[in-house]
Amino acid sequence: MQSLRRTSAELEGLLKALADPTRRAVFERLIAREESVATLTAASRVSQSAVSQHIAVLAKAGLLKGRQIGRSTLYRANPRALEPLIDWVERQNRFWQAALRRLDETLKETKE
Amino acid sequence: MSQNLRDADRRSIVVDYHLSAPPPKVWRALTEPKLLASWLMPNDIKPKVGHQFTFKTAPAPGFDGIVHCKIIEVQPVSRLVYSWRGGPIDTMVVWTLEPTTSGGTHLKLEQSGFGPEHGMTYDILSRGWREKAAGSLERILNLP
Repeated sequence: MQSLRRTSAELEGLLKALADPTRRAVFERLIAREESVATLTAASRVSQSAVSQHIAVLAKAGLLKGRQIGRSTLYRANPRALEPLIDWVERQNRFWQAALRRLDETLKETKE
Repeated sequence: MSQNLRDADRRSIVVDYHLSAPPPKVWRALTEPKLLASWLMPNDIKPKVGHQFTFKTAPAPGFDGIVHCKIIEVQPVSRLVYSWRGGPIDTMVVWTLEPTTSGGTHLKLEQSGFGPEHGMTYDILSRGWREKAAGSLERILNLP
């Protein structure tokens, strides 16, 4: 089945990184702005070390990019990293559409 | 027969299909292993809540070719729900059948709940969200 063939460690990493609601919120926030761990912590309900851990997981999955400004690192989201997931969804869509066309044909061929 | 994808529903894949066959016939094609295999994949489905079954296809890198499923809900001739897990993708598949005035079936497939755990918000992949993301990214990149 074509639609599942590209399931990979990459895809799994993305899904795991985004499965956590706090991480998802961090990711979405960093779409709109570039921020440091300190700023992110001030805006959230979790500790700085928790934020740092979430940042690390997101960065490992390629979902964040950081750049060094003086002594702090500013992070921003890298939405292009979602491409494997978007591709998967599109392939899954095509898979079901093709399957339903086959179902339609099958039903037309079979007599009650 | 017609089909369309709903962009409006951002939390799942939704495919609508109008079939000329009546719901009981479509139901059989969804729940009888041989019929189901003829248009989907070899399987050992039984329309019984709790029944675990598999779809089998060719293995590929990162995917052993087996989709693991479990029946969650059965409403004969109108609704069938099962879990769908292949590789790291853990989802729910919902089939809904509605009779049409012309004696056919409006069949709706919905696949949702993407993620190895519960709660993967599908909004994150929606078109609107992607455009928003792309726009924001451009603004960030264009900063002086």
